[in-house]
Formats: sequence, structure tokens, C-alpha cells
Amino acid sequence: MTAATPPSAPQALTLPPLSLAARRMRIMGVVRRDFAALRRSPMRMFEVLFWPTVELLLWGFVTLFLQTQRVPFVVTFLLGAVLLWQVLQKASNEISIAFLEDIWSRNLLNVQVCPLSSVEYLLGLVLFSLGKVAFAVAVMAGLAFALYGFGVTGLGVGLVPFVGLLLVLGWSLGLVGIAAVLRFGENAQVIAWSLVFVVQPLAGIFYPISVLPAPLRTVAWFLPASHVFEGMRTVMAGGAVPWDRMAWAAALNAVYLAATLALFAGALRYARRHGRLSRFGD
Amino acid sequence: MSILEATRLVKRFGPVTAVNDVSLTVGEGEVVALLGPNGAGKSTTLHMVLGLITPDSGSIVLFGQELARHRVEVLSRINFAASYVDLPGALRVHEVLDAFARMYAVRRPRERVAELVELFELGPLAKRKVMTLSSGQRTRVQLAKALLNRPRLLVLDEPTANLDPDAGDRIRGLLSALARQDGSAMLITSHNMREVERMCDRICFMSHGLIVASGSAKELAGHYGAEDLEEVFLKVARG
Ligand SMILES: Nc1ncnc2c1ncn2[C@@H]1O[C@H](COP(=O)(O)OP(=O)(O)OP(=O)(O)O)[C@@H](O)[C@H]1O
Ligand SMILES: [Mg+2]
Repeated sequence: MTAATPPSAPQALTLPPLSLAARRMRIMGVVRRDFAALRRSPMRMFEVLFWPTVELLLWGFVTLFLQTQRVPFVVTFLLGAVLLWQVLQKASNEISIAFLEDIWSRNLLNVQVCPLSSVEYLLGLVLFSLGKVAFAVAVMAGLAFALYGFGVTGLGVGLVPFVGLLLVLGWSLGLVGIAAVLRFGENAQVIAWSLVFVVQPLAGIFYPISVLPAPLRTVAWFLPASHVFEGMRTVMAGGAVPWDRMAWAAALNAVYLAATLALFAGALRYARRHGRLSRFGD
Repeated sequence: MSILEATRLVKRFGPVTAVNDVSLTVGEGEVVALLGPNGAGKSTTLHMVLGLITPDSGSIVLFGQELARHRVEVLSRINFAASYVDLPGALRVHEVLDAFARMYAVRRPRERVAELVELFELGPLAKRKVMTLSSGQRTRVQLAKALLNRPRLLVLDEPTANLDPDAGDRIRGLLSALARQDGSAMLITSHNMREVERMCDRICFMSHGLIVASGSAKELAGHYGAEDLEEVFLKVARG
């Protein structure tokens, strides 16, 4: 016999706070909020597509030019590089922007007094950024195909680890940006914007790692992104996906993500201890 | 069981001691005011209760649970509104409320939002973006947000500072009615003495990070030989 709850028992207004259902609901609350914000501001929609399109056009024409000059190697990799670079850059910037927006709109305290755990909040940001990245890249991939006959599917199964590794690296970089703002205040926004661009020259996005001077090559070896872009060129030149590189990159990613999560937690603790949360925007 | 038990809270910001050994309790359904001059440490105290600021020492227990260790459980039963926070301006009123209802894991977010829209007479504003509202209208939205989870402790930092006398009066009536009806306790700061006299069961007077006097408005007036709370305020603030 099932012990049904008596019909008169009033159901609590909220879900038990630690239940899975409550966690899922809180995370979706963050996602829905960010989605509504995007939908309500056409400028932001425009921005989602603007930079990727500009970069795609730029590198597409460079590719066309190099082809007319009969440069003796595969130049279409530039297009693949732009697409994958956008994955990294967007994943990084989108999550730090989502956080900064709470500061700009003076909504941070409302979010901070919610029963959202840090992990739930970050998962919400990550999920939403995933949607935005997917949308932007899909549009770019369509353009690349329509304008230059470049099909991302040419990357085959490699596409999955490439995109996955770059997303995770991007989130780690975004987290560093958020942690910097929590620790050093709003002026550290610069870090949130620009950190990902430090990776750009080192990760061999538009050229092979071998052109870097030896010390920088060593640095590149420790960037998951370098392995992704090397792997991409290998695949586009007709080679197989270098799975050993992918495994190494995944291991690095795991370490970096754990480290940046710790950094974030530390920065939040610092902000709470020094009364910083209520001082943003002053 | 008391709703809030804050014991011997201390908070320093560099050379400034914002809160210096404050102990405070709020009982079930009780409405308590923190009163005092600018910089007395009222907001800092509220922020410690909300987990926004970590105290240097002292303990905060809400609903019998320590805040530091049961953050999510505790925060899901309280809520907050203040004159110096805002809601995301790009969103429509109903979207903001819907998002926060979910962040508080309200079981039926749509129904709950509809209830509060009605209660705060937000119907005509529901489809407007928050940034297009006047500050008084925003305050109403914020208070609606603060009631989404039917908090057992509502923390309000100068909640009516942006309202005209009429709107302020109606909001006060509404909050008092809610306190009676739902049995929510409240911890409020305000510089509006009439508001405090009317709404609060107990008043804690803060000065230089300390609670220097407490009691009902009548008791305080009697103790300081004053006509009303305003006179008490002036006497205490000017030493
Ligand atoms: N985050 C912070 N960082 C540094 N100092 C702070 C911070 N918050 C408050 N203070 C200082 O602590 C003291 C108490 O400030 P608090 O905001 O708690 O006062 P209050 O009683 O709320 O005043 P008001 O009536 O003006 O709102 C002030 O001297 C203030 O400058
Ligand atoms: Mg204050």
C-alpha cells in the first residue's frame, strides 16, 4: 500500500533547496534570465554575429589572395582556424560578460543573496554561453561554406575534441577574468576582455607552432589550444586526428579548470571578507 | 525558535570598525528596525546576515542553522530588497520575476509571479522593461521579487527611500499586512521615523558600530524622555 500524502497537507511554495530538482530549476533560472536579456537587446544579438562575421570575411579574403599567389600549402586552414578561434574567444568572453552584466545593472547583490551555489551559477553561465557559441559558430560555418566553399565537416570526427577542448579552455579563461574582477574590482575588467588574446599568438592559431622561438614553443606546449590548432592542421592536410595530443590537451584542461575554479572560490571569499560585493559600481 | 540569532558580530574595513560587537535576535513574525546615523553600521550588519559580507568574528544562525555552513538552505528562506540595488534593466518586469522565482526554486513560478504582479499592482507594467520604470515603480518590482519565495525573514535596507509619500504609505501597509498574514519576520533599516514607528515591533539603535539602545518606539521615547522617535534619534545621535 502506498502511503499517499494527505490531500490537505499544504505543498511548500519552494522545492527542497538541496534537491536535484531545485538545483536544476535555479540553473535554468540563470539561463532564462540571460536568454531574456539577449532577446530584449538587439544590439547584443548584433554583436553575437558581428565580430565572427568580420573575422571570417577578413581571413576568407586572405585565403583567396594566398591561393592566387599559389602559396605552396593548404591555405584553407585559415578558415578552420578562424572558426575554432571564435569558439575559444566567445566561450571566454561570454561568461565573463554575463557576470559583468550583473555588476553593471547593479543586480549583483540580488544574485548573491539567492540560494544559488557558485557551481550552479557558473553552470548557468556556461550553459547559456554554450548556446550563444553554438549559434555564432553555426552561422559562421554556414557563411564559410556559402562564400568560400569551406565545409567544417571536413574536420571529421576531430571536430568534437577540437571544439570541446577549446570550450573548456575558454571557460577557464573566462573564470580567471571573473575572479580578477572579484579580487581587484571593476578595473580588472580589462583582464576579462583580453586574457584570451594572450593565448592567440602563442597557440599557433594561424601558423604552426614550429615558427615560434624555442622558449615560446615550450609555453605553447602547455596550452591546450596549441594542440587543437596543430591537430586541426594535421587533419586538414589529410592526416589522422592526433589523439595523443588531444589526451594531453584534455589533461591540461582538467588541471587548468580545477585551478581556475579554486581561484574563483578564493576571489569570492576575498570579496565577501572585504565587503567588495556591495561596492561595485561606486 | 528564533528566526535570526546574530551573536557578537565584528566587522572592520581596514582602519574603520563598521560593526563592533553587535548581537541581535529576530523572533518569528517580529519586525525589527535598525536605526542610526549614516555610517553607523546598519547596512554592514544586514549584509553579514545575508552572507554578502563575512564577519571578522561572531556567529550568524538563521532558523537554527549556521549561515556559513548552510548557505543554500538558509538563503532559500530569506530575501532582500534595498534602495541601492537594481534589477536587470533590459528585461521585462515579468521576465525578471520569472527568472528570480526559478532562482529561488519556487514550485510554480508562473502562478507565484502572477500573484505578486497582482499584489503590487504591476499588471500594467508587466511587459515593460525594468529600465523604463520610474524609481518608485522599480521599488515595487523589487519588493515583489523579495516576496517570491515567501521569505520567513525579509531583509530590507531603506526599502521606501525612493517612494513618494503615497506610494510609501501603501507599500508600508502592504508589508505590514504580509507580516501579519504570512508571519514573515522583517529586519529593516530606514531613516523614516514614522515608518519605523508604524511598522516595527522593536527598534535597535546603532551608533558607531554598536547597538546603544533597543526597545519598542514607546519604550525608547519613555527612556529618553522624548516626544517621539525622531527626538530619540536626535538625542542618541548627538550623544
Ligand atoms: N565595503 C566596505 N568597504 C569599506 N568600508 C565600508 C564598506 N562598507 C561599509 N564601510 C564603512 O563602514 C561604516 C559603516 O557603513 P554602513 O554602510 O554599514 O553604514 P549605514 O549605517 O548603513 O549608513 P547609512 O545610513 O549611510 O546607509 C562606514 O564608515 C563605511 O564607510
Ligand atoms: Mg546603509
